[in-house]
Amino acid sequence: MVEPILEVSGLVKHFPLTQGILFKKQVGAVKAVDGVDLTLSKGETLGIVGESGCGKSTVAKMLVNLEQPTAGSIKYRGEDITKLSGKALKSVRRNIQMVFQDPYTSLNPRMTVGDIIGEPYDIHPEVAPKGDRRRKVQELLDVVGLNPEYINRYPHQFSGGQRQRIGIARGLALRPEIIVADEPVSALDVSVQAQVINLLDRLQGEFGLSYVFIAHDLSIVRHISDRVGVMYLGRIVETGRDAEIYDHPTHPYTQALLSAVPVPDPEAREHRERIILFGDVPSPTNIPSGCRFRTRCWKAQERCALEVPLLAVPAEFRLTTGPAAHDSACHFAEEKQVVPPEEPTDDHVNGVE
Amino acid sequence: MLLEVRDLHVEFRTRDGVAKAVNGVDYGVDEGETLAVLGESGSGKSVTAQAIMGILDMPPGRITGGEILFKGQDLLRLKEEERRKFRGAEMAMIFQDALSSLNPVLSVGDQLGEMFVVHRGMSRKDARARAVELMDRVRIPAAKERVRDYPHQFSGGMRQRIMIAMALALEPALIIADEPTTALDVTVQAQVMALLAELRRELNMGLILITHDLGVVADVADRIAVMYAGRIVESAPVHDIYKAPAHPYTRGLLDSIPRLDQKGQELYAIKGLPPNLMNIPPGCAFNPRCPMARDVCRTDAPPLYDVIPSDGTRVSACHFWTECLHG
Repeated sequence: MVEPILEVSGLVKHFPLTQGILFKKQVGAVKAVDGVDLTLSKGETLGIVGESGCGKSTVAKMLVNLEQPTAGSIKYRGEDITKLSGKALKSVRRNIQMVFQDPYTSLNPRMTVGDIIGEPYDIHPEVAPKGDRRRKVQELLDVVGLNPEYINRYPHQFSGGQRQRIGIARGLALRPEIIVADEPVSALDVSVQAQVINLLDRLQGEFGLSYVFIAHDLSIVRHISDRVGVMYLGRIVETGRDAEIYDHPTHPYTQALLSAVPVPDPEAREHRERIILFGDVPSPTNIPSGCRFRTRCWKAQERCALEVPLLAVPAEFRLTTGPAAHDSACHFAEEKQVVPPEEPTDDHVNGVE
Repeated sequence: MLLEVRDLHVEFRTRDGVAKAVNGVDYGVDEGETLAVLGESGSGKSVTAQAIMGILDMPPGRITGGEILFKGQDLLRLKEEERRKFRGAEMAMIFQDALSSLNPVLSVGDQLGEMFVVHRGMSRKDARARAVELMDRVRIPAAKERVRDYPHQFSGGMRQRIMIAMALALEPALIIADEPTTALDVTVQAQVMALLAELRRELNMGLILITHDLGVVADVADRIAVMYAGRIVESAPVHDIYKAPAHPYTRGLLDSIPRLDQKGQELYAIKGLPPNLMNIPPGCAFNPRCPMARDVCRTDAPPLYDVIPSDGTRVSACHFWTECLHG
């Protein structure tokens, strides 16, 4: 395997809950992220999926050092960035940039597009000497498919898709190696989503970027990712290459999640099996003992309440080499096909029956 | 036909000019039928629904033409007091964002019960009992204890169930659900959609489902009406449209979504942006983005052509629908 450029292990983030005004005492913690391991190789896209509250955005924030982890390490090229400060941290941050979800609130309305995209150069002046910045910003606008003449416009003069392109241009300004994208297309209209996804795809090839792509939309994650991690209540419950996760899921949560995604094919609705989970995600202040998914799981047994399942290749698949042999944190892992297999011909493209 | 919208026009007068939000919409829904209205933001799908319900903000909104026939009666000719009798009792709406649609300072029991007090003249005690029944019906656990809780004490999925319960309270003939699951997570979305479909079947209601999600549509709809720039561009039974769209916009939408069951190459992207409603392009509104556009598309607005072979249920607003249909 290629040397990973980002290696996360045992990442934990607990937000303390306090009581009292003058004398604050901790009464509990929101366990937003509770032991996450990930690796990212050069040029690779790692997709992280999960429902709201599963901790995926907190992971993203810790990767770009916007949030300090409670425990664990984030190694960028072998160096633990959680222990860095000052100059050393600044130089690492240059290489890990972020694209945010909401292009309406993540751009300062009082700054011109040129200032927004050029702002990273104020912090890292070594990347672009002052006289060169305007030209660099115009190049970036061109790269993300916007007219370079728009450099003096303000964010409100752009549509949602165009704003997200501005956000991407800002992320690219320092020529980072890694881009952490937190739900980059979920605020956009369907017809515009495709444009932005294609742009991200193209930029990856052009600049040799590695992506951590966080989203709740499983179809988009499949489209863009090489590897996928499924998160539930602060932990990764299953991870593997995209075909392993989508076509051969072994964790019941992944199976339920996949079976719940509506597929745009009315023919599939009759013969598709739906797993409908009961109830809601438990509160992250009070995580169930043992396996955290057991309260909603149809397979749960006594063992699940007592023993925390480890994220590893399940014993029954350990000796096989098939696609089911990937990491899954379940005592009763079992392969199950929930997404209808791909049809060889795609007849709506050419419109003939 | 339970509800029929004919040639509806709605515009908004704003400081910057007149925004033409709805420009001649025709659609209908029968008892027991699910019609999905599909469109992007600004396509006029929600404004049409608000006009049907009679909850459009006027001003700045103005209905400038058309008819809305409900059981044969034109709602637009009724007085406000007469229309109020329809809302809730005959037709009800489920909104996208349950947290901001429910009153935060009233318990959910009071809000559900209010329907019975106002429309049926029940006592508060009887109304509360009915509220508990309704909460049971939408499968809220421990309904009896939770009837006194306030909206913020419920999760997103549970709040959406309360919205559904409220819409169903008086067993209306028509339900309009405006993006009912967009704010929910997929596993919860599946629960809520299944519940809605089941109750619709049970009560034989007509359902207008407004959404931008082609997946949700394929799962539950009988018919689809696709909207663009305030018009229906294609309307057809759900199976036909997914198999062979007869309008280039529909085709573009279907091709531009990544699919769970396919690992695609580059996605097809519809070029450009949806039009500004203050300045809709002449001719076919989709022409600047259309790969098939020719001169006639820039001058003549296409009427709704019957798609042949036809039983009168499939229409497309494209001059070149045959080409689109046959690739």
